[in-house]
Amino acid sequence: MKKLFVRIDDRLLHGQVVVSWIPYLKATDVVIADDEYANDEFMRELIMSSSPEGVNVYIKTISETADFLKVDSENNVLVLLRTIEGLKELLKRVKIKNINIGGIGAAKGRKRYYNSIHLSDHELNILKDMAKENVNVEVRILPRDKALVIR
Amino acid sequence: MTFSDYVLFSIFYFWASSTALSIGIGYYTIYRPILAGLAAGLILNDVQTGMMAGAVVNIIYIDFVSTGGSFKGDQCLTALMAAVASIAFGLHPLEAAALAFPFGFLGILIWKYRLRINNTFVHMYEKKYKENKAPDISLYDGLFPQLLLLFMSSAVITAGLLLMFSFNRLINFKNISALYYIGLILVIFSSFNILYKIKNKYNFIIFAVVFLAAAITEIRAYIMLILIALILLFTSNKKINIVRNKLKGSIKKGDLVYSWFIWMNYSHSCYSYERLMGLAFAHSMKNIIKKLYKDKHEIAEAVHNHTEFFNTEPNMGTPILGYIISLEEERKISRESFENISYIKKGMMGISAGLGDSFTQVVLTPLFVSMAVMLCLDKSYNLAFIPVIYLAAYILFISYNGFMNGYFQGKDSMLKRVRNVKESRLKKYFPCMFSGILGLSMSSLLFNNIRPLENLFTLVIILLAAGLTFLRRRREQ
Repeated sequence: MKKLFVRIDDRLLHGQVVVSWIPYLKATDVVIADDEYANDEFMRELIMSSSPEGVNVYIKTISETADFLKVDSENNVLVLLRTIEGLKELLKRVKIKNINIGGIGAAKGRKRYYNSIHLSDHELNILKDMAKENVNVEVRILPRDKALVIR
Repeated sequence: MTFSDYVLFSIFYFWASSTALSIGIGYYTIYRPILAGLAAGLILNDVQTGMMAGAVVNIIYIDFVSTGGSFKGDQCLTALMAAVASIAFGLHPLEAAALAFPFGFLGILIWKYRLRINNTFVHMYEKKYKENKAPDISLYDGLFPQLLLLFMSSAVITAGLLLMFSFNRLINFKNISALYYIGLILVIFSSFNILYKIKNKYNFIIFAVVFLAAAITEIRAYIMLILIALILLFTSNKKINIVRNKLKGSIKKGDLVYSWFIWMNYSHSCYSYERLMGLAFAHSMKNIIKKLYKDKHEIAEAVHNHTEFFNTEPNMGTPILGYIISLEEERKISRESFENISYIKKGMMGISAGLGDSFTQVVLTPLFVSMAVMLCLDKSYNLAFIPVIYLAAYILFISYNGFMNGYFQGKDSMLKRVRNVKESRLKKYFPCMFSGILGLSMSSLLFNNIRPLENLFTLVIILLAAGLTFLRRRREQ
């Protein structure tokens, strides 16, 4: 595998990702790893019909994503996740060195962590645990932004 | 400038930058430099000078998109200041634009702090709700943030104008010839930048051909307007999806229209970091919920549900609102939990946000506003209103029809909308039309107002600015 980039962004394939990240990463494959969406016919169709040209978009469950990442290929892959819980599941199945946090909306129990990123205490603890296991967890909204590393 | 002029400027700048209270089209019309210039001209009794200054500022901001990219000052403030400078000090539009440009950054203050301050209104609303006081969402989404904005924008524009007038007393701007060349450089930078940004093979060729042809044959801008209108006519989508079924429940057509009207007026009224458009969504559901439930606390709870985080493009995203209204009707009978509605809102909002921004902000607005700029620079001031009115009507139609289709047809209407925009021929031919318009605009600007060939220094500046943009872009790639 040439390059793998994992991003948490509950807006998934939206403007910032399409306009900035995909060209920056030179990504050819985009995997949306989400159990709920993978089993929701309407959301699958909606995401597929709005996906940008020039990249292969896949919508897979977390375990399907893990299998997909284990297969060796020459493509640059961008994995998009909606939740930190999903990321935790993915990490159990496959090894990932770098994680990018790009956008998590406010919700009950979540506090504003940085700019448009909101985390609950539980979620922040999961990320801190990952950092302890030598996973590099960075908060970076756009490629040109300065990365804020979670320790 | 009299005291009443300051008041009028404050009110206009508030109205334009609030993006509220203008049925959602203010951001695409009165906020744009050319119309802000017109307003300044109306206030100071010199419409043509005002519009001309606005048009030049508009070219400087032509590559502006709110979702990021090149970030400059506030275009509306810059245009108002430029128009005042042009009228009051008798400056050339290019000089006025260069002078106003740094003042535009004062306007950024508003955008920067507004999202943070609006959090306060969210907290106030939440507090009242927790105390079981059934707060009225329209106060927290409408009145309070708008009052705050009125205060902030009045302060900014008054400070900006006072500052500019006192600087002028110190150093007479009329005597600074450098301003003219700075204006020229700014205009050339932004027009070349946008040509690089909208990726298309023929951009520069079309631009150059139209630019030279206009310079040699003196084509008038209205011919270009007719040409573009014909292209739009042939490329327009003839299959418009309009679905209206019979209404069955207690929700009447008027309730739907009212809800849409509230959404259009207030979608960005209390735009905050915490919820973005969350309060606006709840605000637009208020009258619907009131029809469905009778108990005061039941109403407050159902409205409160909708104040959760929400963000989309306000015009493309309207099918979500219509669809959610129909789901709320069903929920009243089935009594299921709110979780399902929340899941649908969140799933659909991201897609329509990306899709909407890439259409209304990147294609529609630049296309029609630049047409108005082109006509204005060619001194066809009255014709300049045609593209602006068309743009406003187009956006209103997109949002209204989407809202109704969402209600009557459900989530499939969103799917159809996504496909329509993706296959839109307007989007496909946009780069070509836009390059042509820009070519003619630049030609009118450079040849109608000045004769660069007679002034070697001006020509050197133009070529140097163009060359620099080219080199910078080359290095980026």
